[in-house]
Amino acid sequence: MAVKYVLKLYVTGQTTNSIKAIENLKDILKNGLKDLYSLKVIDILKNPQLAEEDKILATPALVRVLPPPVRKIIGDLSDKEKVLLGLDLTTE
Amino acid sequence: MAKKLSKVISGIPGFDEISHGGIPKGRTTLASGTSGSGKTVFSAQFLYKGITEYGENGVFVTFEETPQDIIKNTNSFGWYVGKLVKENKWAFVDASPDEADNLEAGKYDLGAFLARIEYAIKKVKAKRVAIDSVSALFTHYQDPGIIRRELYRLASRLKKLNLTCIMTAERPIEEGQISRYGVEEFVSDNVILLHNRLNERGERERTIEILKFRGSAHDSEEAPLLVDKAGVSLYPRPKPKLRGKGFSQKVSTGIEGLDELLCGGVYRNSTSLITGASGTGKTVTTLHFIMEGAKLGEKSVLIEFEESPDQLYRNASSFGWDLKQYVDKGIVQLICHYPEDFRAEQYLKVIQDLVVENKAKRVALDSLSALQRIYSEEKFREFVIGLNAFLKMHDVTSLLTNTTSQLLGVTAITETHLSTATDNIIILKYVELGGQMRRLLSVLKQRGSMHEKELMEFEVTPTKGLQILGPFEGIENLMSGSARKIQLKFGEEDAERDFIAEAAAGRI
Repeated sequence: MAVKYVLKLYVTGQTTNSIKAIENLKDILKNGLKDLYSLKVIDILKNPQLAEEDKILATPALVRVLPPPVRKIIGDLSDKEKVLLGLDLTTE
Repeated sequence: MAKKLSKVISGIPGFDEISHGGIPKGRTTLASGTSGSGKTVFSAQFLYKGITEYGENGVFVTFEETPQDIIKNTNSFGWYVGKLVKENKWAFVDASPDEADNLEAGKYDLGAFLARIEYAIKKVKAKRVAIDSVSALFTHYQDPGIIRRELYRLASRLKKLNLTCIMTAERPIEEGQISRYGVEEFVSDNVILLHNRLNERGERERTIEILKFRGSAHDSEEAPLLVDKAGVSLYPRPKPKLRGKGFSQKVSTGIEGLDELLCGGVYRNSTSLITGASGTGKTVTTLHFIMEGAKLGEKSVLIEFEESPDQLYRNASSFGWDLKQYVDKGIVQLICHYPEDFRAEQYLKVIQDLVVENKAKRVALDSLSALQRIYSEEKFREFVIGLNAFLKMHDVTSLLTNTTSQLLGVTAITETHLSTATDNIIILKYVELGGQMRRLLSVLKQRGSMHEKELMEFEVTPTKGLQILGPFEGIENLMSGSARKIQLKFGEEDAERDFIAEAAAGRI
């Protein structure tokens, strides 16, 4: 089975928002995503140049690179319904 | 005692003058203005000049235009920003909008934004930062509270890093709040306003005003701002020193009879207004004045709106003056332009530069009316007052001409602001007398000196130029245009004759 979703999560260091976002995302992916996905977590404090490409200003920021179009969701991802909506996922 | 706030040179001509030294160093200065007021160019120029002239590298944070657009647009000013980027002197932080909208799902901050700015600062070892414009941030995110807090954090961080920053902000309308979302309240103690208004002639006029610089002196009046092919320039009004040099020495106007009327000429550093209808001899008067100076080796600036250089040379040589020779030698700086070529502020600057560069002692401008025709009343007044103040400061004797619209008869001799801004007023006039057009000269005022008040007849001859013949005697009502000979004997009814027809007071 091929990878259907390519996701990037941008965080800035070990802040409360960063930690929460990672936890929330893992939770969503475990329960809601049947397809294969790849997730890359990027710490902008360590690699600020990587934020340029996706023009990230606010963090945490989740970017759905694939499938197109590119989607961007910001925040600690505590509003799970919005995250699912943003990723264009339907949970059956 | 408070430590004097140090400043960095902005690289924006005129700004360092009104700001008494530049942009507050190590601080964030907010530049707020309505759309089209020149904010982007202003902030880009601050960076560009910083790099190219003062060796201070910079970071440009762009919210509205892409870096490619900024590079392309500033190219028209002869700036090669792309090259500076390659040389690692200029770094962009691209915060321009992209297609993907932000969906907000929980708590966030602008940590990435701050990290990217700091990264760019380190990359080029920046000393200057320009952010254009922060108001865009408020439109991208739903919670203005977060944006305020984060901008405050950014300003504090930049201060800690000792960076000098210009942050621009949108102003919804000219009058009213300083910036949209009240940005000034939390980012900066230093606020500049960029204005963009329509004047009464429907022309766009941009000005800049320093609203506050915490703990530091600055001018408070607005200075005109122009965007031209070299970027933005300010044209602050010259400030006359109150402690001006006292009038003491007189200089010759180049016309012997006029010097006599003025009791020895005009005072050095005074301004004289020659007012008269077309063809009365104003241009020849300015030529006398300039040639007199040239013969004494005094440098001068002659601004001529009425004639081309060739016409003027021909005109001068008909009076036996080799004006061209003096122009070629650089003793006379001749400016022949259409008055429309420059805006008032630029003209003032051109004249000021020529006077300073050449250490000119005399300036003649023929005629003010050409400028009055194209400038708004306010601009014209500012020009005259500004020119006058500048010339006084530089110890220059000047002669300005003014064309009155009426050939004969009573006219408002001088506009109020012209008469108060000038020290001496000399009137040239046509009078119809005995079926002839004759010419009259009179000194209306000479500040700080006695002068003859008689009405003199003069003529302009090819060999001698303007020559005073003598007083009009036995004639009254000369100034009204309906001159008549004074009755010398009573009872001779037949002798009462009009020497003069009613003057036709018509516009030229």
